[in-house]
Amino acid sequence: MQALHTAATGMAAQELNVQVISNNIANLRTTGFKKQTAAFQDLIYEHIRRVGAQASDQGTIVPVGVDIGGGVKTVGTPRSMTQGTLSQTGNDLDLAVSGDGFFKILMPDGTYQYTRDGTFQMDNQGRVVTAQGNPVQPTITVPNNASGLAVNEQGQVSVTLPGSSTSTILGQIGLTRFINKAGLQPVGSNQFTETPSSGPPQDGTATAEGYGKITQGSLEQANVDVVSEMSDLIAAQRAYEMNAKVISAADQMMQSTTALFR
Amino acid sequence: MQNALLIGLSRQMTLERQMDVIANNVANANTNGFKADHSLFEEYLNSNAREDNFIGADRRVSYVQDRGTFRDIGQGPMEATSNPLDVAIDGNAYFAVQAAGGERYTRDGKFSLNSTGQLVTSDGALVLGTGGPITFQPTDHDINIAPDGTVTVLEGTARTDSIRGKIRMVAFDDPTRLTKLGANLYDIGSAVQQADTKSTVRQGYVEKSNVNAVSEMTRMVEVMRSYASVASLLQQQSDLHKSAIEKLADVPA
Repeated sequence: MQALHTAATGMAAQELNVQVISNNIANLRTTGFKKQTAAFQDLIYEHIRRVGAQASDQGTIVPVGVDIGGGVKTVGTPRSMTQGTLSQTGNDLDLAVSGDGFFKILMPDGTYQYTRDGTFQMDNQGRVVTAQGNPVQPTITVPNNASGLAVNEQGQVSVTLPGSSTSTILGQIGLTRFINKAGLQPVGSNQFTETPSSGPPQDGTATAEGYGKITQGSLEQANVDVVSEMSDLIAAQRAYEMNAKVISAADQMMQSTTALFR
Repeated sequence: MQNALLIGLSRQMTLERQMDVIANNVANANTNGFKADHSLFEEYLNSNAREDNFIGADRRVSYVQDRGTFRDIGQGPMEATSNPLDVAIDGNAYFAVQAAGGERYTRDGKFSLNSTGQLVTSDGALVLGTGGPITFQPTDHDINIAPDGTVTVLEGTARTDSIRGKIRMVAFDDPTRLTKLGANLYDIGSAVQQADTKSTVRQGYVEKSNVNAVSEMTRMVEVMRSYASVASLLQQQSDLHKSAIEKLADVPA
């Protein structure tokens, strides 16, 4: 009975769907998180009677065939890279990007990772670092006697040094774009790495050519919409139940056949 | 007496296949752009009944066979995703994509970009525009897809739209001739296709599966019960057979 296996693929797909939805909900309050949705495709069909085949010597053609599908498969979990809402925190080093750009982070192994999470801090050397302590690129070092740290829309970091009445520019935080940002690979800790699918990173500055602008004192919230996640969850759960019902129906059909030979 | 068994068997085989079709619909209840299949049956008249030699003409035995599965090409519900590369078709058209075996058609509008900036399906097949694949430049942003399929962007610091192509929508005289290939793709073979002018696309939406859960479940119960009733018919037939043999072989004392 093919229906048993078909329904099993359906159950597996819905299980994965619930997994993706629960990860979105779990990251509801994660700064800079981008939600995922599971995408499905039907499996190949068994053409028991081929459509368009000749039905008689007179050239009559079969108008519809008998096509039995084998179920469903997961093709991907594309990430929705839409902008999350900005929430104000008032922290000098909390930065949010409105636009396409990512912050570039130097990892301890010398590679770069990219993030939308602008919860930055200062380390013991005065460098602007992520919550994990990895420096934001280009590295900005704040002197320990500086006050009045300000970051403008272009990402320029300026401070007021003692004995000076004007502010001094320390450097400019850069942003990086990808032609296919949905193709970035998540590595946890709110960070992404470049993949062959994302295309090479294009370093630039905020406010230029769609990189987006930087807002100081704000953080980008996750772009998860609770209401739609909950309705997706219900839909996934019901679909799972229906597939389970198909399995039990197919099982009962087989049972009625085996009961024939008592 | 064999006839009843064989007729019952023919019915059970078709019911089993109908169950397979329902299972596939239910499994694809969350597949973007999926179109539900339904089974068709027909009577199959066999030559005259065999084991009865009554006076008068023999009646023909009628079996059942599944003639086809037809597709419900009705529109699926639209789900708003706010993703600028999700497009749903409002109408009967299909998207044309460049798959491994050649040009194929799909209703699944969950598109994305590849590393060279081309518009692709979830499988990476190129989405075809009226002038070939639709390619974006690295500095493009604010992608807009008009109802007629025209894709425009803002390039760099430009304030006016640049056209990146027009998504090709294809219609068919006889959409039932489309065969499902899996992976949400259809193949048309040698039949005629033409550019569709009546359908429109909607950006930021995906078309969900048009499987109606309630009717699928109802049909499933129906199939299950008919299968069981045929099984009990076969059981009674077999009991009858058995008792006939016993009665006939019973030698009176």
